[in-house]
Amino acid sequence: MAALQLLVNGVALGAAYALVALGFVLVLNATSAVNFAQGDLVMAGGLLAAALAPLIPLPGIVLLPVVLVLMAALGLLLALAAYLPLRRRPPVSVFISTIAVGIILQNGAAILFGPEPRAAPPLFGDDTLHIAGLAVPEQSLAIVAVAALLIGAQQWVFARTQLGRRLRATAQDPEMARACGVPVTAMILVTFAIGTACAGAAGLLLANRYFVTPTSGGDLILKAYIAVTVGGWGSVPGAVAGALLIALFEVGVSSVLSYPMALGALYLTLLAVLVLRPQGLFGEAVRRRG
Amino acid sequence: MGVGALALLAYALAFASPYGLRVLTVAGVYALATFGFQIVFGLGGALSLAQGAFFGVGAYVTGILGSRYGLGFEATFPLSMLVPLLLALPVGLAVLRLDSHYFALATLGIAQVLHLLAVNLPELTGGSNGLAGVPAAVLFGWAVPRGLPMAGLVWGLVALGGLIGWRLARGRLGRSLTMLRDDPLAAATLGLDVGRLRLAAFGISALFAGAAGALAVHTQRVVSPEVLEFPVMISILTVAIVGGRGRMAGAVVGAVLLLHLPEWFRFLERGYLVVYGAALLATVVLAPEGLTGLLDRIAARLAGRRPRAMADAKEPPLPPIRSEGLTVEGLRKSFGGVRAVDGVSLDLRPGTVTGLIGPNGSGKSTVVNLLSGLERSDAGRVLLGGREVTGARADRLARAGLARSFQAAALPQGAGVLEAVAAARLAFDPDTATAEAHARWALDRLGVGHLAGQSCDGLPAALRRRVELARALLRRPAVLLLDEPAAGLTDGEKAELAALLRELAGEGMAILLVEHDMGFLLPLAGRVLCLDRGRVIYDGPADGVRHDVAVSAAYLGSSRSNPAVSA
Repeated sequence: MAALQLLVNGVALGAAYALVALGFVLVLNATSAVNFAQGDLVMAGGLLAAALAPLIPLPGIVLLPVVLVLMAALGLLLALAAYLPLRRRPPVSVFISTIAVGIILQNGAAILFGPEPRAAPPLFGDDTLHIAGLAVPEQSLAIVAVAALLIGAQQWVFARTQLGRRLRATAQDPEMARACGVPVTAMILVTFAIGTACAGAAGLLLANRYFVTPTSGGDLILKAYIAVTVGGWGSVPGAVAGALLIALFEVGVSSVLSYPMALGALYLTLLAVLVLRPQGLFGEAVRRRG
Repeated sequence: MGVGALALLAYALAFASPYGLRVLTVAGVYALATFGFQIVFGLGGALSLAQGAFFGVGAYVTGILGSRYGLGFEATFPLSMLVPLLLALPVGLAVLRLDSHYFALATLGIAQVLHLLAVNLPELTGGSNGLAGVPAAVLFGWAVPRGLPMAGLVWGLVALGGLIGWRLARGRLGRSLTMLRDDPLAAATLGLDVGRLRLAAFGISALFAGAAGALAVHTQRVVSPEVLEFPVMISILTVAIVGGRGRMAGAVVGAVLLLHLPEWFRFLERGYLVVYGAALLATVVLAPEGLTGLLDRIAARLAGRRPRAMADAKEPPLPPIRSEGLTVEGLRKSFGGVRAVDGVSLDLRPGTVTGLIGPNGSGKSTVVNLLSGLERSDAGRVLLGGREVTGARADRLARAGLARSFQAAALPQGAGVLEAVAAARLAFDPDTATAEAHARWALDRLGVGHLAGQSCDGLPAALRRRVELARALLRRPAVLLLDEPAAGLTDGEKAELAALLRELAGEGMAILLVEHDMGFLLPLAGRVLCLDRGRVIYDGPADGVRHDVAVSAAYLGSSRSNPAVSA
């Protein structure tokens, strides 16, 4: 029973991590840029939700679209300031520019909101359901449902729509896509907007149960990165699976030992994965670009 | 540089308040930490996010040994450098061959683990409160007090460290690191051991960071987990980028400027890091060469570019033992179920030119990649100079006497021609001056000696090819693999290239030529091999290839004669 309870908690956490990792992979695939600011964008989404809550005293589910739109706008800004001017430069320039954006977000948030942890409102309610002896907080169910909905919607856009085809073409081969008449720059902007909106959603979902502080981003980017590495660099289903895996690992190990121990074990596992299987546990999905 | 040093000295002696001196001291500490970062990241291109962590480890070693065990500076300072080094070596061995972003992640993970340890091992580290009562640095029985003496000690070490770093950057290590940063594959085929060089750079970065951490603790007299937090890493990264990537002077300029910035933005309190983030972003986007790069450009515009004194051309020595060429038996390589190379055997004898032809996708380039060690074969044996080298890495093959060119001439962007060519001898010559003298010989031999002072950027294709050929030639290889060297050349240039290759073969070199241009290849080659879908379908004299039915069929998919072959 205890194991089942941990599973429930782990899946809810994993669903939120999956959104973090998903935003990271989308940008990675479209631009081969590693976005080090992803964790800080999640933090920004969480704090944004926490700041909006007193202004819009409604459940979190109503806040969600507002956060998505505002964060998408932030994503456009990120692409314009830190990616597009550097697209012809070596990849390390983009690492550094996104690290810089992360620093600005993190410390900007510290100035605006102070270092105290804040919570976002729950999506629907704060109650805890008791199902067959399991304590299932409504928020956990809501997180899983909302994350599944967002991931599913995104998959649908990518698989079934004209926009999705263009986004995939851009991700696969920008030069070829441009030659076929796809507006590549616009597609890159859209990708950054979607990726950042994902981060915002993850922030809103996480910031209720786990609180958010301006320095939360560092841990989150590492977890997104671990999920993507474990799941196979560039693979979307792999990233979701990786996110669930690390959330279960974290919840499981913290219940036996402690949270810092779980975190330490997670990083050590990551190092082991990198050394032994750099192509990820499920194989490499992204081919190398020239 | 002298002016800057004098200005700093005058400021420290005449104007600085005790607080100002403290800021100056801390700036020196960061300059020292950044020297190491310039070597591993600026020159080597490996974005190590553990530099802050090594700084913190150095700080804790001094803190723990000084405050708990009462050890003196003469013991704690070297240990503060040694412990980060001992940490860096195994970690580096494990992760340095990874792609750059994985390396960044792995080093960030290490930094997080160390921070967790510092907070969660209170018996050793004092936990989140840290340890107070770290003694002053004691030099020859004299406890260095705060203020001017401590600033003097730190900046003395900055001068020493900067000099060491500068010499390393200008010497073989720095050149080799830049080479492998810009093009790791080409670096390996030039004989540079990528893994070992990166490990050396990573180790050196840890030494500098540890020294800086120790001095930071002697300045603060306390050590707490703050030294292991990400802001330290951010500061080092920002100092390096804003000052100018890869340059020791950049580390000093960046550190002095950035450590004083928070004083001007005091109203932001801890939020001063926002200013760092903005400075970092602005520099990367607007002035990627950093402040020292900008200053250089201004100076060059004012004074004109000084032509660099160049060493006289000198013929590089021939390797002592001339090899017996290259023998390959039963080479196989599959990519995900597709057999790219399927049982290829060939024999490159000294003094011969062998042609390798075949339709696009028949496996020619894969063969060259396998022979030069860029890909590992699934099966087969390779003998170089009579010695088994099956499965050897590219750099080892290069040092054993094999050289290759690339289809698209691979010259580093922004480098001078002489520098780029001399890179081919960094693994062989004792210093860069000798390597450059040898490089001039090779450029002269190819008739492009006048290009030595120019930049590789903007060279026309034919000249780029010659420069690349000079680079391959320079090592006096026993075996030379050329991937489409005649592509894009005029008829006159082709004739010159053919004459040169004949001359080289005449000197005893074994040459393999991958070519599409039969008019160029057939008169030159003694023997020709034709590949089709990874298999050798023709192996015989060059003049037989035009009339071979199998070869025509491979090119045309039928038995009609091939215009490309019979032209």
